[in-house]
Amino acid sequence: MVREVAESCVDTMLMEMVAMYSGRFYANKPELAARRIEAIGYQVGHQLSERYTMERPRFSDHLEAIKFICKDFWSEVFKKQIDNLKTNHRGTFVLQDNKFRWLSRVSIDPSSSEKETEDPSTPGESKAAQAVSMYLYFPCGIIRGVLSNLGIPCAVSADISSLPTCSFVIRVKA
Amino acid sequence: MQFFGGSEISPSPPVPTASGNNAHMMYVFNRNGVCLLYKEWNRPLHTLNPQQDHKLMFGLLFSLKSLTAKMDPVNADKGNLGVPQLPGQGCSFHSFRTNTYKLSFMETPSGIKIILVTHPKTGDLREALKYIYSLYVEYVVKNPIYCPGSPIKSELFNTALDQYVRSIS
Repeated sequence: MVREVAESCVDTMLMEMVAMYSGRFYANKPELAARRIEAIGYQVGHQLSERYTMERPRFSDHLEAIKFICKDFWSEVFKKQIDNLKTNHRGTFVLQDNKFRWLSRVSIDPSSSEKETEDPSTPGESKAAQAVSMYLYFPCGIIRGVLSNLGIPCAVSADISSLPTCSFVIRVKA
Repeated sequence: MQFFGGSEISPSPPVPTASGNNAHMMYVFNRNGVCLLYKEWNRPLHTLNPQQDHKLMFGLLFSLKSLTAKMDPVNADKGNLGVPQLPGQGCSFHSFRTNTYKLSFMETPSGIKIILVTHPKTGDLREALKYIYSLYVEYVVKNPIYCPGSPIKSELFNTALDQYVRSIS
């Protein structure tokens, strides 16, 4: 039995979650807010991985699990696959999504980015980048949750040097 | 009743018929009269400073709406002053034309007013304004960084809007 929800509802709920945690619950403590949001993502990833690996056999190695995330899992959650996967074969994987769905509508103030070109160290630009990075803790948590449920403890971080391209860096703990 | 529904950016934009600069300027106001966006493509004459210009425009539309509702010979329900109406309900004006320009107007139930000033031979722009509103929803309302009630500063919105308005005849 499939029940459907409008995507706008999910989008708005994610926006509001980040706004609540970074604006109200842990105002002025962005690291705590980030940690809390990432923990929520971890739970969600845990549960989603159960649902999406129900009929599959166990993964033979780490690379197979990562490929599952890039193809099937990403298609289920974001309706597309990861565009580029890189690895150093020593436990580090970089997943690149060229048009990350949850960041597709994020757009920074063009006038503040003009100021940034004059002086690259202006705090204005990093505030915008910081605001956007709060929205990435949730997907990082999801990936960490999925992998830990598949038996692969890891740390996940995100890199948004060029929007809307988004890279997730997975470091598997030895 | 589905007014603004659909999938990605919908309704799909009306077919562009001409290229170039047919629009003069555009205003977007919210319910409280805050000018969220003012864009200018072709405005050779400026008579007032920007604040006065925005206030004048907002006041003009407010008065025009209530005037047209009061003068309505057909509809008995006059509605409340200043309250945005559901589409199709009551009497809502959508454009006026002078010998030098045509002003097209649309108000959404949420109180967002979109005004587009174009050259006088422009046709009915109601579909175009609906499409611009859908752009607003996609790129501004759904932008996590946007603070509702503040002026719009989204690059994605500006680009998409510019591209679309230039394609209107």
